[in-house]
Amino acid sequence: MKAIKILFLLAIAVISGSSVIIFSGVVDVAADKPHGKFVYWLLQETRENSIAKASENIIVPDLSDFELLLTGGVDYEFMCAGCHLAPGLKQSDMSLGLYPAPTNLSLTYEKQVKQGENNEAAQARNFWIIKHGVKASGMPAWGKTHDDQRIWAMVAFLDRLPTLTPEQYQILTAID
Amino acid sequence: MQYIQATIYLMLTSCFMMTSVQAHDPSEHVKTNEAPKCESMKAMDHSKMDANDPIMMAMMKKCKAQAQKEAMQMDHSNMEMDHSNMEMDHSNMEMDHSNMDHSSMEGMSKSAAGGHHKHN
Repeated sequence: MKAIKILFLLAIAVISGSSVIIFSGVVDVAADKPHGKFVYWLLQETRENSIAKASENIIVPDLSDFELLLTGGVDYEFMCAGCHLAPGLKQSDMSLGLYPAPTNLSLTYEKQVKQGENNEAAQARNFWIIKHGVKASGMPAWGKTHDDQRIWAMVAFLDRLPTLTPEQYQILTAID
Repeated sequence: MQYIQATIYLMLTSCFMMTSVQAHDPSEHVKTNEAPKCESMKAMDHSKMDANDPIMMAMMKKCKAQAQKEAMQMDHSNMEMDHSNMEMDHSNMEMDHSNMDHSSMEGMSKSAAGGHHKHN
């Protein structure tokens, strides 16, 4: 009986505390004010584990066809490069202004892939993120307007993006 | 004194805000279509290129399509050809009359019909 009483009081305290935080407006949601280390870790771990679980059963198709680089490249330039940058581009208004900062996908692949994650898992992860987006991060769900084939083409392009020179990138992504 | 300082701070802040607005003119954010700059391929080190590399194959396909497109769009309106100074020397031209039907021709002897003629 005493334990139930303690649990009840604890629940009341948690609800009251949460209500104060939610309704008082003390939480600063400004994108130019970074999270504290603990909150950042909490959100990042939650996000990464959620994506890993959601993408674990995705079967990666053959992405070796060079035609995929052409469609994926054009889509990347128009949909992604503004935030995720391109070879030779160090920053953009979006990459500076968004929080958390978008990953620079033109950097070497090793820097993007989580340690221990194999290439196929990374491709499945990229596919899931492009298709479904990520809540409250600025990453849209492109699956609402693009079919799976186009999204896989973007994944194929992302695989090769860190190896491209600015000149190669320009040729692959340009559209007249 | 405090009032003057506050005014100066306010003016400086306004100047910074105006500068940042000027630096981000909306036209800078407009993305325009751009043709692939295939001439940069010529400057690349071809000895290090693998013709079977998907990147290389994709670039080749894109540049080939671009070259065809440019060839189609070539403007012929400004091309002129001056025919006034063109001459043709007929002295060495031969004409084979062996297959000609002279039956309907009047005043032409049969002996002249089958031979080779030289035109001057």
